Amino acid sequence: MSVLWKLDHLRPDPKVGVPGETIPELFRNAVALRGDGVFMREKELGLWRSWSWRETEQAVREIAMGLASLGFEPGECASILSNTVVEWVLADLGVLCAGGVANGIYPTDSAAQIRYLCADSSTVVVFVEDDEQLDKLLEVRDELPLLRRIVVFDMDGLRRFEDPMVLSLDALREAGRRYDAQHPGEYERRCASRGPDDLAILIYTSGTTGQPKGAMHSHRGLVYTVRGLNLLISQNDRDERMAFLPLCHVAERMGGEYLSIYSGARLNFVENPDTVPENVREISPTVFLAVPRVWEKFYSAVSIGVSEAARLQQLAYRWAIGVGRRVADRVLAGQPVPLSLKAAFRAARFVALDNVRKMIGIHRARYLVTGAAPISPDLVRWYLALGVPMLEVWGQTESCGASTGMPYEKIRPGSIGTAAPYNEVRVDPETGELLIRGPNVFMGYLNQPEKTAEAIDADGWLHTGDVGTVDADGYFRITDRMKDIIITAGGKNVTPSEIENELKFSPYITDAVVIGDRRPYLTALIMIDQENVEKYGQDNDVPFSNYASLTRAPEIVALVQREVDKVNRKFARVEQVKTFRLIETQLTAEDEELTPTMKLKRKFVEKKYAPLIESMYQGG
Amino acid sequence: MKGTPMTEPVLRLQNVESAYGPIKAIRGVSLQVPESRIVTVLGSNGAGKTTILKTISGILDPRRGSVTFRSEDITAKDPAHIVARGLSHVPEGREVFPLLSVRDNLLMGAYTRGDRDAIARDLEVVFRYFPILRERAAQHAGLLSGGQQQMLAISRAIMAAPQLILLDEPSLGLSPKLTKEIFEIIVRINRERGTTMLLVEQNANMALNAADYGYVLENGRIVMEDRCDVLREKEDIREFYLGIRESSARGERRWKKKKTWR
Repeated sequence: MSVLWKLDHLRPDPKVGVPGETIPELFRNAVALRGDGVFMREKELGLWRSWSWRETEQAVREIAMGLASLGFEPGECASILSNTVVEWVLADLGVLCAGGVANGIYPTDSAAQIRYLCADSSTVVVFVEDDEQLDKLLEVRDELPLLRRIVVFDMDGLRRFEDPMVLSLDALREAGRRYDAQHPGEYERRCASRGPDDLAILIYTSGTTGQPKGAMHSHRGLVYTVRGLNLLISQNDRDERMAFLPLCHVAERMGGEYLSIYSGARLNFVENPDTVPENVREISPTVFLAVPRVWEKFYSAVSIGVSEAARLQQLAYRWAIGVGRRVADRVLAGQPVPLSLKAAFRAARFVALDNVRKMIGIHRARYLVTGAAPISPDLVRWYLALGVPMLEVWGQTESCGASTGMPYEKIRPGSIGTAAPYNEVRVDPETGELLIRGPNVFMGYLNQPEKTAEAIDADGWLHTGDVGTVDADGYFRITDRMKDIIITAGGKNVTPSEIENELKFSPYITDAVVIGDRRPYLTALIMIDQENVEKYGQDNDVPFSNYASLTRAPEIVALVQREVDKVNRKFARVEQVKTFRLIETQLTAEDEELTPTMKLKRKFVEKKYAPLIESMYQGG
Repeated sequence: MKGTPMTEPVLRLQNVESAYGPIKAIRGVSLQVPESRIVTVLGSNGAGKTTILKTISGILDPRRGSVTFRSEDITAKDPAHIVARGLSHVPEGREVFPLLSVRDNLLMGAYTRGDRDAIARDLEVVFRYFPILRERAAQHAGLLSGGQQQMLAISRAIMAAPQLILLDEPSLGLSPKLTKEIFEIIVRINRERGTTMLLVEQNANMALNAADYGYVLENGRIVMEDRCDVLREKEDIREFYLGIRESSARGERRWKKKKTWR
């Protein structure tokens, strides 16, 4: 288990990594180097099954050749519509090794969204996870004239289904084996058919306003970024990773799949999105990349656990976390940790902290990485107090993931760290916007040259839309998304995300949207944490039946009011949330109000709940 | 409860939690049953339906929460006391006394009552609802068919002249035809005698037809409540409780949608 004052193991090892200028080259070199070593693990009927590098290549080769047998040409696009499963990686690499372009589609997307993404990307083959995803695609296939074949990973429930367009992954691999035998050298030719500057993957941005845009990344951009990434969050073939974030998202694709190919860290797949907490404990990853929402969930589970524990345990926890905080304070200030405090910390781990780490599943974690959304500095400090370093990275789809990262030698919660060694980052002196330049910056948006021109200026700087500052040591701080900054009717500039992050730190609040642009005061729409609020209601005899009645109960509104008051105390008067409303519907990832990573979409929420928002400004 | 007048309900449960040892069967249930209505609680196997009824009738003491019957707190009171207050429980699986005659079974139901004339009148009422019971009044109850035993169990509850009847899955193990008959009579008893009823059922179709208001119980918690005619139209109820699904482009569908309970 790691301790904060000894973080040498985070130093990048120059011996880690494989050569290659395209993803197929990188992958094939990784296979040559690691052969029978384990690349991926997945759970089948409750048992872990390993995929060696060699086995993986066999499958990738068959898929690539299978695609070739279907007439799939280099440069054509194939989409993958699936949860994060081993086959996702196989299909991705199969498409790339066939010389194709791979595009991921969120499994929570609706049929209409799938239609748009397939049409925009000129998809000719779609890989779908199962019958559920297949049904969505079949609903819209008549509107997709370019679509030629659909490949299904899991044929359960489809044994008797016959359709000339649909085949199973097994059938595709079988066809690939035959094609390979008849066309010697074709696989190698296909793998080499793409150069570094060719388009490799499309990542669609979630698009809070308007249709999603397909960000294009070249092989060069991907490979370059992966090499750099291993200097930022360095790992090696002894590391265990957990694959659970959507692979359509840049974070898991780059920081999970491609970084593992480069570094040799093993990818352990969760069973399904609902089993993440159990799987974390089971896998206990040594390097753990997740989004703030996941870190918030763990924290609230522990908070609730502590509040339910016996008095003695509560005291032990408070004392232990206090010791942890003192250690963290010293380390963050760059001061040595005295022997007495080290001894106290050892005791603190024994009485409480080790158990907390085990309860979450981070007891083997060398370090944690957070990104993809802003995180409350208090939350980072809590993980540091447990003795586990948490490093924040910042970037976006268009910069191929991380562009800044927290140096492990000097962690500063609340900052997003310094510029990654592989790109330049600067603050636009006029607008305060953060700009990025480097080979990791994307090629542009597919079919949208005007949008591309808006994003990348003549000097090659990517305009990120995030507003921030940089200090003398080169640490960047994000204040907000440029378009989200609120200017109240009184003319005051307010950055809503700061307030929202503080609100989300409460175990009773899952997400919040602060409103107040051109309004006399700030208000908020709040999504409650169902589990914790239900528990509060039950413990305090608040009568409720379903979710909606829970959000209407006066005691619950009062509970959230107290949480809002707590946050308000941290802000100046004009930045205080004067009133709020709770969202009565229990939202799921399928709902348009949420991004696939379960964040509320500000613009969408503002539109959808307009009457509710107006009600907060009436009579006031 | 939506859309009901604010008169005091016959029965009110507030934040009731009940457990079997370490296993929580119901995890905070609040519901109410208004005068002269039929209220149903729907749920799959193991959702906690029977536990709710057992907690109401005092067979099981709740860990927390309260049960109020006609403004009296009956939480964890003795079952005999609760029956005497006018609350009858028709248990799951009938549970008639097999070695007593049908008539004696019925008279057992009237055990708490003293007025012999009234008992005789109610016996006539019961025989009118279920003529087969009159025909077989002298036989051992154990010789009746399942459907007839269910009729007997309901009749036995009526014999206590209750203000509220708790019905635990009257359709259990019965043919569709018999189930239909029994539900028709349940509704008749409610309409003619004004008896308030709380009905728990797995047969959602029957229960939603018979009842006025419904709650949906999943994993010991209420996830939805509304008037039954509204519930019938809810997508999740249609898919998961009534087995009506729109077919997909493929013509069949094996996978289940995610429940959202809206």
